[in-house]
Amino acid sequence: MSRDTLVSFEGVVKTFGSFVAVQKLDFEIKKGEFLAIMGSSGCGKTTTLRMLAGLEAPTEGVIRLSGKPINDLPTWSRDTPMVWQSLALFPFLNVRENVEFALKMRGVGKAERRKRAEQWLDRMQITEFAERNISQLSGGQRQRVALARSLVVEPEILLLDEPLSALDAALKVRMQSVLKNLQRETGITFVYVTHSQSEAFSMADRVVIMSRGVIEQIGTPQEIYRTPRTRFVADFLGSSNLFSGKVRAGGQGQVLETPTGQFVLYGQVAAVGEAATLTVLDTKTHLSVEKPAGAVNVVPVRVIGEEFVGATATLYLETAQGQEIRVQKGHDEIADLPTDIGQSLYAWWNPQDGHLVAEA
Amino acid sequence: MSGSAELNRSRTVDWALMLYVVLAYAFVFAPIAASFVFSFNSDRFPSIPLGEFSLDWYRAVATDPLVWDGARNTLFVGLIVGIVSTALGFGAAYTDYRYKFAGKQVYLALALLPPTIPVIILGLAMLAYLSRINLSGNALSVIISHVVVCAPFAMAIIRLRLSQMDPALEPAAWNLGASEWMAMRHVIVPFCAPAIFGALFITMAVSFDEFAVAWFVSGLNETLPVKVLGFLQGQVSPRINAIGTFVFILSMTLVILAQLLLSGRGAKPADKE
Amino acid sequence: MRRPITLYGLTFSLPLLIWQVLFFVFPLLFLVALSFWTVKNFVMQPDFDPVNWTTIYGRAVFWQAYGTTLTLAAAAAVLTSALAFPASYAIAFKLSDTARRWAVFLMVIPFFTSYLVRIYSWQIFLSDNGIINVILGGIGLGPFQMLNTVGATMIGYLTLAFPLVVLLQLFSLVFIDRTLIEAAHNMRCGRLRTVFEVVIPSARTGLVIAALFCFILAFGDFVSPVYLGGGEPTTLSILITDTTKSGQQWPRAAVIALTMIGTLMVVAFAAVKFAYKGKSK
Repeated sequence: MSRDTLVSFEGVVKTFGSFVAVQKLDFEIKKGEFLAIMGSSGCGKTTTLRMLAGLEAPTEGVIRLSGKPINDLPTWSRDTPMVWQSLALFPFLNVRENVEFALKMRGVGKAERRKRAEQWLDRMQITEFAERNISQLSGGQRQRVALARSLVVEPEILLLDEPLSALDAALKVRMQSVLKNLQRETGITFVYVTHSQSEAFSMADRVVIMSRGVIEQIGTPQEIYRTPRTRFVADFLGSSNLFSGKVRAGGQGQVLETPTGQFVLYGQVAAVGEAATLTVLDTKTHLSVEKPAGAVNVVPVRVIGEEFVGATATLYLETAQGQEIRVQKGHDEIADLPTDIGQSLYAWWNPQDGHLVAEA
Repeated sequence: MSGSAELNRSRTVDWALMLYVVLAYAFVFAPIAASFVFSFNSDRFPSIPLGEFSLDWYRAVATDPLVWDGARNTLFVGLIVGIVSTALGFGAAYTDYRYKFAGKQVYLALALLPPTIPVIILGLAMLAYLSRINLSGNALSVIISHVVVCAPFAMAIIRLRLSQMDPALEPAAWNLGASEWMAMRHVIVPFCAPAIFGALFITMAVSFDEFAVAWFVSGLNETLPVKVLGFLQGQVSPRINAIGTFVFILSMTLVILAQLLLSGRGAKPADKE
Repeated sequence: MRRPITLYGLTFSLPLLIWQVLFFVFPLLFLVALSFWTVKNFVMQPDFDPVNWTTIYGRAVFWQAYGTTLTLAAAAAVLTSALAFPASYAIAFKLSDTARRWAVFLMVIPFFTSYLVRIYSWQIFLSDNGIINVILGGIGLGPFQMLNTVGATMIGYLTLAFPLVVLLQLFSLVFIDRTLIEAAHNMRCGRLRTVFEVVIPSARTGLVIAALFCFILAFGDFVSPVYLGGGEPTTLSILITDTTKSGQQWPRAAVIALTMIGTLMVVAFAAVKFAYKGKSK
């Protein structure tokens, strides 16, 4: 364990009856980082967070906070404040009383409590609502109250369980920058659970992707985006074209033999004979009318649809074998390309843009 | 997600609370159980140690013509009260479900408030009012007063059932050509049937046990609970236990029937399970 | 959406309205009129004479009974609520769903047993030669006088109101958002403190309404004070039954009844206001 480790999960398992929510978690959370834990519902991400908060007890393994095992500490003896998906603001207390709650529980005197709450109300720009009831606030204001309530004790770590899921799209984006700035300014470690890729990738320093209680990959958003470690991750991100097949020796290096064709791999990457999946980002997949000269990985395709969102165009294509291929480009990049439905084109990519992952 | 973690609970506290719950139920059921036990006990002044097993008190009750009169009155009153309160309660529940109108708050207050007025005051008011309009001192006066108290229960039970109904069902029936009356007959009533029978049994059970208002207004046509009040006013008599046990079994039969109807297959929304 | 009044609609809404106006509103209004009637030679005469009000309000006995009833009912509300709360709390938070359903079912049973029979049963427990004294005698204690005491009256009120109070409390406790409790724990609020800081404030409306119902039941009950309390001290309900059943002093009984209703309305209004305080500030 390195010196900048704040939390470590060591062989942590959690079962509910016969249901295994989390199987053998081993990872570390660094001091001051913004870590997002991402996955679809039931993947164990919330359970992981709740174990850290002391709301669930691990069935096996050890969770350490600043080096000390915290398995047996009840939640009220840990300093792991959490922001709930429902926010869990106390409806019978007003905004100020909500923010002061944690200080009151720590026996902080009235005047001091008020002063510190005031600072956070101010920082979250909700001072004017201090005396209001929770029911009178908008979604965004509630969000700020929940953050102030958890941060008022100035903890080392803040846990967030999909706190933005109830907001509309525009507000979500605004709150993301609020959260990111808050984390940068305070240096508090944020552990952020979400099912949203855009939330995780836009805010987090590192992302943990979970599936069925197992960590599929940990890394910076860039690493994960460019080099997904498993087929699951590539699938989950949904931003690559996937080709499954078997690795063969061929030409100067290796090729992947797939039902769609044979593709040249970049360098010596896998054992010959192994089943693997080639992932190519949709932004790195190119199109042309004529068969491009010199390109080694070419697939003849037919246009089956197109979609424009903002400045990006997405083209949907189909190979002769029926596999769907997606290409994302700027408008100007495809301006000269005929894209009527049924149009025949060639899809191609450079071998160095292909990334091979093990078949899960 | 299951409740809070084991680590945030204390075994000792949990056990202490469980013990407390058991004691609470013991307190609630002690008089009920004692009444049952002592109804089979020979002693004139019931206490422990128990005397011999005997059916004397049942025999004494069974051979008392006044008790039989009371039982007949009770059943007669209960049956009519059940039917009338359920009918009125159904109408009120449907009104609340379907219509919005000025003064609805007042309407609902009238439909639901009576059980919150102390029975003794209701009894006095009923006695004074009904004797003024020459309706006091007979079974009819008991029926009238009991319906006032029971209709709100029927309304609450049936309203709950209506709130479980898909609000599109009735308009769907109209849309398919049913008149309002036909929709009522073929959609609303069948859907509410379990609650209607449930309300019928519950209101009957409430009427069976009501003694205070009945005591004020019944005159010579005493119902069984009023009879019990009489025994209580006289000297201590284990006959109360015998009658109590009998009425308890009768009431519980009705309640269990109601429970089966309300929670049985009919009560679940048709599209689930 | 407002629809025109139709025969169909009236068929369902009118019967209850008519019934409750005729047999609920009118009797209560008649009680007001009755309180101004006079009684001469044991015969009531329609009149408009405040003599009944002045007579009743001029009697020390009435005010004593009023004070007694108010105190007893308030004590019953507090005591029942306090005794019921740990049970409701345990049923709401510590039992499985199945066990909770059973607990609720069992708590409903007392509503369908005769209150009178249960009170009589308590006499068997509490009398001088009753079950409790026999048991205490067995270990060399007593006998204690338990029947015909205020304590026995309280047991009667508990018998009357405890199941209802538990059910009402339970109903508000089970709807508490569990994440609020977790959030409190998460902010250093221990188990017991969470009960006072979060659980009780969250369930306040239900807890107050439960106490209010207990107050109303105890305030109007005449069975417990008479058959367990021995009629001493006199409560308003005893006063009403005595006044009604002996002689034709119904107008005076009406004065007492109206005073009771007035008191209940004030208490209920205050309680409801407190219960919903801050809910829609």
